[in-house]
Amino acid sequence: MNRRRFLSAAASGGAVLVGSGTLAPAVAAATEDELAYANFGAATELLLQNFYGRVGEEKLFSGQLAKAFARGRFAAGEHAAALAALLTGAGQTAPLEEDFDFAWPEGTFANKRSAATAGSTIAEALLGTYLTAAATSPTDSFRVLHASLVASLGEQLSTLSLARSRPAIGNSFPAALDLEAANAAVESFLG
Amino acid sequence: MTALAGTASARSQQDPLTIYAAASLTEVFRVLDPAQRYSFGASNALETQIRQGAPADIYASAAPLNTQNLFGAGLVEKPVTFTANRLALIVPKSNPAGIRSVYDLRSKPVKLVIAGPAVPVGGYTRTVLRKLGLSSVLSKVVSQESDVKAVTGKIALGQGDAGFVYITDARPVSDQVTVVRIPAWAQPRVRYEIAVVSRSSNKTAAQQWIRTLLAAEGQATLRNAGFLPLPKSKS
Repeated sequence: MNRRRFLSAAASGGAVLVGSGTLAPAVAAATEDELAYANFGAATELLLQNFYGRVGEEKLFSGQLAKAFARGRFAAGEHAAALAALLTGAGQTAPLEEDFDFAWPEGTFANKRSAATAGSTIAEALLGTYLTAAATSPTDSFRVLHASLVASLGEQLSTLSLARSRPAIGNSFPAALDLEAANAAVESFLG
Repeated sequence: MTALAGTASARSQQDPLTIYAAASLTEVFRVLDPAQRYSFGASNALETQIRQGAPADIYASAAPLNTQNLFGAGLVEKPVTFTANRLALIVPKSNPAGIRSVYDLRSKPVKLVIAGPAVPVGGYTRTVLRKLGLSSVLSKVVSQESDVKAVTGKIALGQGDAGFVYITDARPVSDQVTVVRIPAWAQPRVRYEIAVVSRSSNKTAAQQWIRTLLAAEGQATLRNAGFLPLPKSKS
């Protein structure tokens, strides 16, 4: 999709703005697969939001990284809200944080590296499913949303990689994941 | 443990309460208070019976819809949420279809057993499948049962390859079935509500029974049976 088509899809393909400018597609004709990805995404974004919150509480990072993770928390909340709006628009019940009993293995927040590794696992699962959703969705506006989510998760993964003392730019071609594989990656965190 | 035994003994000079309760509460309510008279079944069927004048003092449903229907009709007092649950996929111990993940339902030939759509667990099952993007496996359903215990029984007896039940229903047959976890993000909000039946002649005792169920010991017994704590906020 070139830039013109991307913007056209966003403008005329049913995409709407929610929250503070978050992109969310109209959902009148959402397929079950699209909504399944939205369900996983909404729940896992809440998990990621919780992760960033814990990172902030533990004061593991300072300076630019601390600011970036605070922004990551905001982004995860926006993503969750956009996907929740999509689900409720389609007549489904959107997940809430209180639906989950997030489980952080002992030592997750013991140091910078362990925390950033857990965050990377979650962000990679999200990015992988958003890639698959962007590639398989039959609806322009859904593809726009998922492409946008991929871009945001890419930024977050880069920051998390730096926090692990790894290069900011990793895989040239991050892996696309189906829901089963992505779920396996984060299931233990979701409780 | 008989958490509500005190209630029962206090009522020893009275008739027992008649409690209509969701089938999934069968074991735990009998443990909580064996002194009362129970009628267990699908919540929708019990709702119908109460509408038709069944002599119940208390109604406990596995779905708010059923209690709210009766409350709207003035047939029960204001319902309260008292516990929550999760769904699970169960397979016979022999696992003839080789089901290891809920996603295997899509790729393997399976004889699937579920509850009917009007039964709470049947509705929740369809919600789970929709959330997972697996509604197509409904074409593999060989039997739609009238309540969750019938689903559990069929799988325990090997009359189906897999069935959707509440996680608490798998416990009593844990020597006969294996639980396959359903992802947390695909779980429906399973909330149990309870209410005093409006035409009960034992309203005071029924209200006391519910208060005891909501108190610490009643809640502990529910959790010991695998039920979830009261929801953190919204019911």
